[in-house]
Amino acid sequence: MTWSGEIRTSAPSRARRFGRQTNFDKIGRIPWGLIALITGLALFGTAMLYSSTITNPENTGLPSKHFVRFLAAFVLMMVLALVPLRVWLAAALPAYIVSFILLLGVEFFGSSGGGAERWLEIGPFRGQPSELMKLSLTLALAAYYQRYLKEASGGLLVHIPALFLIFAPALLILRQPDLGTALTVIASGLVVVYFAGLFWRVIIAGGIAGIIGAPFAYFYVLKDYQRARVETLWNPSADPLGAGYQSEQAKIAIGSGGWDGKGFTQGTQSQLDFIPEQHTDFIFTVLAEEFGFLGSAAVLLVWGAVIVWGFVIAMRSHTRFGRFAAIGAVSTIAFYVAFNIGMVAGLLPVVGIPLPLISFGGTAMLTVMAGFGLILSVHIHRESKLL
Amino acid sequence: MKIRDLELEFSRRTMMAAGAGGIVWGGLLARLFQLQVLESERYASLAAENRVKLELAPPRRGRILDRFGAELASHRSAGRVTVTRERAGDVGAVLSRISDLIDLSPERRDRILRDVARQPSFVPAVVANELTYEDFARMNIHAASLPGVEVEMASTRSYPRGRDFAHVLGYVARASERDLQRLTEGASLTERELVRRLFKHPDMRTGRSGIEYTAEEWLRGTVGRRRVVTNAAGRIIEELPSDDLAPTPGRDVSVTIDADLQRAAIERFQDESGAAVVLDIDSGDILALVSTPAYDPNDFVNGISQADYDVLRANDRSPLYHKAYDGLYPPGSTFKMVTATAALEAGVIDPNERITCNQQYWFGNRTWHCWKDGGHGPVNMHEAIKGSCDVYFYEVARRVGIERLAETSRKFGFGHRWDLGMTGGRSGVVPNDAWKRATFGEQWYEGETLNIGIGQGYLNSSPLHLAVMCARIAAEGRVIAPNLVGDGPNRGPRDIVDAPLDAEMMQRMKAGMFGVTSEWGGTARSSGDLGLGGPRLAGKTGTAQVRRITAAERRSGVLKGDQIDRKLRDHALFVAYAPADNPKYAAAVVVEHGEGGSRAAAPVARDILAHAIRNESGRTPTYQRSASNAAASTSRGAL
Repeated sequence: MTWSGEIRTSAPSRARRFGRQTNFDKIGRIPWGLIALITGLALFGTAMLYSSTITNPENTGLPSKHFVRFLAAFVLMMVLALVPLRVWLAAALPAYIVSFILLLGVEFFGSSGGGAERWLEIGPFRGQPSELMKLSLTLALAAYYQRYLKEASGGLLVHIPALFLIFAPALLILRQPDLGTALTVIASGLVVVYFAGLFWRVIIAGGIAGIIGAPFAYFYVLKDYQRARVETLWNPSADPLGAGYQSEQAKIAIGSGGWDGKGFTQGTQSQLDFIPEQHTDFIFTVLAEEFGFLGSAAVLLVWGAVIVWGFVIAMRSHTRFGRFAAIGAVSTIAFYVAFNIGMVAGLLPVVGIPLPLISFGGTAMLTVMAGFGLILSVHIHRESKLL
Repeated sequence: MKIRDLELEFSRRTMMAAGAGGIVWGGLLARLFQLQVLESERYASLAAENRVKLELAPPRRGRILDRFGAELASHRSAGRVTVTRERAGDVGAVLSRISDLIDLSPERRDRILRDVARQPSFVPAVVANELTYEDFARMNIHAASLPGVEVEMASTRSYPRGRDFAHVLGYVARASERDLQRLTEGASLTERELVRRLFKHPDMRTGRSGIEYTAEEWLRGTVGRRRVVTNAAGRIIEELPSDDLAPTPGRDVSVTIDADLQRAAIERFQDESGAAVVLDIDSGDILALVSTPAYDPNDFVNGISQADYDVLRANDRSPLYHKAYDGLYPPGSTFKMVTATAALEAGVIDPNERITCNQQYWFGNRTWHCWKDGGHGPVNMHEAIKGSCDVYFYEVARRVGIERLAETSRKFGFGHRWDLGMTGGRSGVVPNDAWKRATFGEQWYEGETLNIGIGQGYLNSSPLHLAVMCARIAAEGRVIAPNLVGDGPNRGPRDIVDAPLDAEMMQRMKAGMFGVTSEWGGTARSSGDLGLGGPRLAGKTGTAQVRRITAAERRSGVLKGDQIDRKLRDHALFVAYAPADNPKYAAAVVVEHGEGGSRAAAPVARDILAHAIRNESGRTPTYQRSASNAAASTSRGAL
């Protein structure tokens, strides 16, 4: 039996029996439950934005803007869901190259917003290439393993180009400097490599090297303000007015929410503007304060369900490409959520990572919804062959 | 078998990843449980007492200084009372308790209640500004028992020279929604938010007109933060040191005006309304830019009441209007040097040719009149300027034609909006055929050229135009551009009309202007002596007609000033430079409805110029000394 990137399955395949799927067939296969969860999260995000901006009459446009962006991104997701896997596969390398060139563009021509250079303007378009790279990297890794991961090549060599694919753009992003995005890119890329079967001994060796290298990185790679943010993690009350301010105020907001919260739009911390960035990266504080442990745990669990669903979709794909692409996309989203909530809850240093679907921000919304589009596509085309 | 192994490995790794994910999610959930359930009480009390706040600290607005560093706009401290709805609860009740302590009119109370209702509940609203010492002390004693009430020393914009610089400096006011839109245009979301919050601070003001408006960013400075500890009621009980976050004050702006000369010029006008411009011929610096009467910009800083504003608007001497820069008047006979220059440039007249004036000039089927009863008789160019003979200039203007006349006027700067780097300014009108077709859809008639020749008709210009024209004559044709900002944004000169004027022709004009003030038959002989025992001035009178003299009135004798309503009386104009033999200053004076230029305007111009020469100190302007420092500094005054 010749085996080229296709995973054997015992389930009877509709596609095999009836030939190509029509778009109508595809729509019939959309997992509506997953879509309901995504839509629910975005609607909840709109409500939280309403609450977080209600005391600033000038910001009243934000919630509706958020919702309109979600609708536009939703359409994009549905269109992407119908794109066949072979088109994704063909687009993988060009997308990666374009994203990489744009990242280089930021390095040389980027404009700064909030101290870091991460925006690139081309004509009327303004975006963060690092966001684009998240999806492109996922596709590129999946395409790479589809092509080169043979049953006989469980060795180390096959993974080295993959690691290069991950770290080259990550270093560029780190230079912007955008520590949060760089870490997300590295982490979700490594998850794909892990699933591609990198030897355990290599993983363990890498982990040990990481632990040894961490202090070195802490002192020589991180910038002063980043170090300050890490320090406040261990000793938050050392400088409650400086670096630890945001983190400390966020914890107070979350903690004072209690079991069932202070009620919608009733959060004193949020409404009194104690927390900077509360409509973007720190939106979770608003919902935790106003809906308490019940609300924040519910959001965390709904996100958990979405992520598990994504992994199930990955596992059921018949091709390596589909499987790795879905894993990459879902782990990117999972790291977003985990890093954001970990940072807001004072477990991780403050790095600028939004909470997908809930935080205000256009580029992140597009990235996440395009990622869901890819996952849905993998689901719909799970039985299609690539060769 | 290898395939099976990979599959098996994949399943195994999936399990492990699921386990890791479970641990992470479980960890997050546990953390939330810890914060929100186990330690909830601690954080709830922290939230209630959470009163270490970072507040926005407004930067101190830059000052505006005169030529020699005298303060024209600065700051002054004054007591202020504010109330915050969130802490006060019933604002109405608190206000009525305050009104037992200090004077608070019912209108004022309504306005405060309106302000309070409109703003977010945590933004303080101003109850009273500029408390007297007694009120301040009394409020301070009682503030502790008034919930949500703060009594503090605030820094207020102040204009120590009051009315003198109203139109030049403009004024500042609380930022309105329109101001905010303008100030945040093109800014990013966070910058916009920051600017909006900053301008909610009771100390913040934004420029509404004049230099305050155009130099807004330069003057504003950079916002800082203030760390404060507040008690449970929200009252600030302590301010923590926060030097690292301190705001950067705005930068000072220097104008070229000499505040003493400005004052002397305004005083000289007494009750008359009018405008005066004094230029330093050497540098083009504007030494005085007077428009009188004026309003007091201090009245606007805390918002002027509608009643007071209505009074200003109703005043028929238009104190709100910047007559020197925005006011347009027909230049009248002061324009005759331009007509003469145009004729010489066109070569249509020999300066020695005599034209006979019988007080009347016939053209087409109409008659034009000279102002002088009985006429001037035969006059050459010098005598025509000296005696301001209208007939001579009717004839000369006819020979030159409107197009060449318009072209020469533009060389003198007429029809051009001089950019002084401040708000306002008008170009005036230099009419020609194309202009008339565009404006009235009608061709130019040659008869209209005659009116332009004596500075009447459609022609009009601001006092600044007249001063620049006079300075260019005095400098014998050298290019001069007026300059108002010595140090600051829009530092001048901002623009230059680079048109050559022939030095020999200008010497001829100067001789004529000297004749006006110093020779037998000159129209302003009585004003020629500066009273300084030597130096004289040279100038030219002018009268800007406000009403039309009908043929019937001409027959029965033209009415004199006191026979007609003030509003219909002619404007008196005078342009001059001094000293006549070595010109340093050029001036233009307009006395509105002052009748004759020689009687009303010339003495004013003479006294202003005499003051300028008498008080000459040889001091260099401060901004020239600091210019090198300013160039070295790279920090911008933007927020």
